[in-house]
Amino acid sequence: GSPIPVGIDVQVESIDSISEVDMDFTMTLYLRHYWKDERLSFRSNKNKSMTFDGRLIKKIWVPDVFFVHSKRSFIHDTTVENVMLRVYPDGNVLFSLRITVSAMCFMDFSRFPLDTQNCSLELESYAYNEDDLMLYWKHGNKSLSTDEHISLSQFFIEEFSASSGLAFYSSTGWYNRLFINFALRRHIFFFVLQSYFPAMLMVMLSWVSFWIDRRAVPARVSLGITTVLTMSTIMTGVSASMPQVSYIKAVDVYLWISFLFVFLSVIEYAAVNYLTTIEERKQLKKRGKASGMYSIDAVQAMAFDGCFHDTDVDMDLTGFSDRCEENETRASAASGSNVDTPRLKRKRSLKGNVGRIILQNNHVIDTYSRIIFPSVYIVFNFFYWGLYM
Amino acid sequence: SHIYKKNHDVTKTWRGKTEQLLRVDDHDFTMRPAFGGPAIPVGVDVQLESLDSISEVDMDFTMTLYLRHYWRDERLSFPSTTNKSMTFDGRLVKKIWVPDVFFVHSKRSFIHDTTTDNIMLRVFPDGHVLYSMRITVTAMCNMDFSRFPLDSQTCSLELESYAYTDEDLMLYWKNGNDSLKTDEKISLSQFLIQKFHTTSRLAFYSSTGWYNRLYINFTLRRHIFFFLLQTYFPATLMVMLSWVSFWIDRRAVPARVSLGITTVLTMSTIITGVNASMPRVSYIKAVDIYLWVSFVFVFLSVLEYAAVNYLTTVQERKERKLRERFPCTCGISHSKTMMLDGNYSESDANSLAGYTRNQMVPEEEKHEKMVVHLAMSNESNSSRKRGLKGHVGLLIIQNTHAIDKYSRLIFPGTYIFFNLIYWSVFS
Repeated sequence: GSPIPVGIDVQVESIDSISEVDMDFTMTLYLRHYWKDERLSFRSNKNKSMTFDGRLIKKIWVPDVFFVHSKRSFIHDTTVENVMLRVYPDGNVLFSLRITVSAMCFMDFSRFPLDTQNCSLELESYAYNEDDLMLYWKHGNKSLSTDEHISLSQFFIEEFSASSGLAFYSSTGWYNRLFINFALRRHIFFFVLQSYFPAMLMVMLSWVSFWIDRRAVPARVSLGITTVLTMSTIMTGVSASMPQVSYIKAVDVYLWISFLFVFLSVIEYAAVNYLTTIEERKQLKKRGKASGMYSIDAVQAMAFDGCFHDTDVDMDLTGFSDRCEENETRASAASGSNVDTPRLKRKRSLKGNVGRIILQNNHVIDTYSRIIFPSVYIVFNFFYWGLYM
Repeated sequence: SHIYKKNHDVTKTWRGKTEQLLRVDDHDFTMRPAFGGPAIPVGVDVQLESLDSISEVDMDFTMTLYLRHYWRDERLSFPSTTNKSMTFDGRLVKKIWVPDVFFVHSKRSFIHDTTTDNIMLRVFPDGHVLYSMRITVTAMCNMDFSRFPLDSQTCSLELESYAYTDEDLMLYWKNGNDSLKTDEKISLSQFLIQKFHTTSRLAFYSSTGWYNRLYINFTLRRHIFFFLLQTYFPATLMVMLSWVSFWIDRRAVPARVSLGITTVLTMSTIITGVNASMPRVSYIKAVDIYLWVSFVFVFLSVLEYAAVNYLTTVQERKERKLRERFPCTCGISHSKTMMLDGNYSESDANSLAGYTRNQMVPEEEKHEKMVVHLAMSNESNSSRKRGLKGHVGLLIIQNTHAIDKYSRLIFPGTYIFFNLIYWSVFS
């Protein structure tokens, strides 16, 4: 005869988990079916219903609703099958189940972690198409109710809504399909604390290098290199819990650009150092000094070769050596004539002044970098947060 | 173990089939006892065997328990002279009516079935039934991590009948508050189980009515020792290590910079390690506060040294410019030269051999402004003596910058103060 209308009502107990790597979600819900079967009507004075547990369903007809696109699902069966059947005198039946279902949800991560995911659970009858069974939401949009406090740790559940449609299968016809749609907005706080904030701090730390004396070669290089290493560690940490997608995510954009800033600060110092040595060589040639010895004060000497000098030394800048003792002996050998006399601080003669002027504290590149790097980074941040928020 | 007693109790000498004794086929056991009549009271008794695990990431707990139901079904009464009961295993359950209790908010659960279904049915002659089973259930527990790891979690397991509302089945705790027993020693490695207690309430479902719900509540307090050892202690040590930098000579640029930078890297690694096993919550946890404030301290020590270094070089440049403005002192007698800027000029060096500084105007050098040369004062080298005009001379290279000096006190003081506040708020 005509198709039997089956009303559906859902109460969502909990959304157990959303997995980015598997691109699915797990939900526990009470699924209730309402239909009328005259063969089950019985005589009664009052209009009360009879309630049965799961063992009766094997003996009567029940609709065969399944979840389209579900990966795993089961009806809870502790202590007995969580199934309820309630039969009214006029043959109306209420059939309720408690189910946990893991269903597929296609997620788009191009704005991760400032993203919103739309997922939906779809119900359909497996065997009966539109001509035999009409599936509909019993109370329209209000058929979907949620438990007292459904909450996820990482997401904010924006809305639950119910909709219905028809699905066509070429081999079997048209079926009624019901949709439970929900939108999830990700909480960004965790990612700000875990990824954005450390990345920002590392970029700021790399700017410290522009303020350090450019003669401190080991210091500036190790500062730059260690910030690169830390940025790399942060980036690896983020992609560990993400699916391997083929497009770039919002967090990737931020981390890679921060990485680029840190990288450029290392390159900047390489440029400064290179230009410094060129300058020095030019001046050397100009003055034509035979030995290339310069009188340098203790601070400069320590910054240059990392060895402790307790007094001003004459250093041979061209013959720089790794071992501190060598530098010291070379230095004292040059001033050997003064061994007996107290070590004198050298007084520059007018000509000797040239020797010291070369190693200026600041290269012009450094001076500009101190302003350019922070301002470009701040502009980038304005663009990024304006675009994605 | 039971000792088989020879007696004439029909429960022990019945030769026929159990079903005939219990008249199982005479009744329709898909209907509950007293069907159509008043609600049947079912008493519940629970003995907890163990709390298997508490998962923060999934926000659930797993528990194994013995669940016992007590009710009366007259259809199962049988004649007997002694008041002894008959015991059956799980196979009879399919043939008679049993209450359909389920665990609300459970994610997974199962009745153990090794070697056979762990189910026991005991029927007394007057129709009282004791129905017991061994279940492991994983249930949801909403956890609040804002005070993690100094937190206490309250979780509860909820029992309810699936089909029967409170008009058909009344669920109640058989012995009130004593219905909940725990095995000899339930213990968890990470938590201290503070207390177990039972409550009961009514739950309303808009489509199906009012149901009796029983609660097993327990409170867990986390042991902090593991986190002290794993997170707090390393973070504190890193901060202290960063203070070492203030005591190192400020001329040791590579040393101080790499010390600061490596402590920052280690703090960053500790922070990443903590968040690996935590759910991604949207609020700040107590351990996050501690780690991030420590990170800020370590970061500031790097910035402090950048400031010290920068100011040093600025000063140096100023000094040099000032010194260059002095006219060449060639040819001036040594004494005047000395008074001008405290330097010996090389041109007069030969006449200055053996000159010691005792003959100079007494110095008023303060200790901290001592130039490195002071260490060699026994060689009586020329320690700078301020000339009357030449104060500019050698004040530059002081051993300790003022910022360093203050930092040695401010950083530790502030960190200790922060610790006092943190532990008093959260403990």
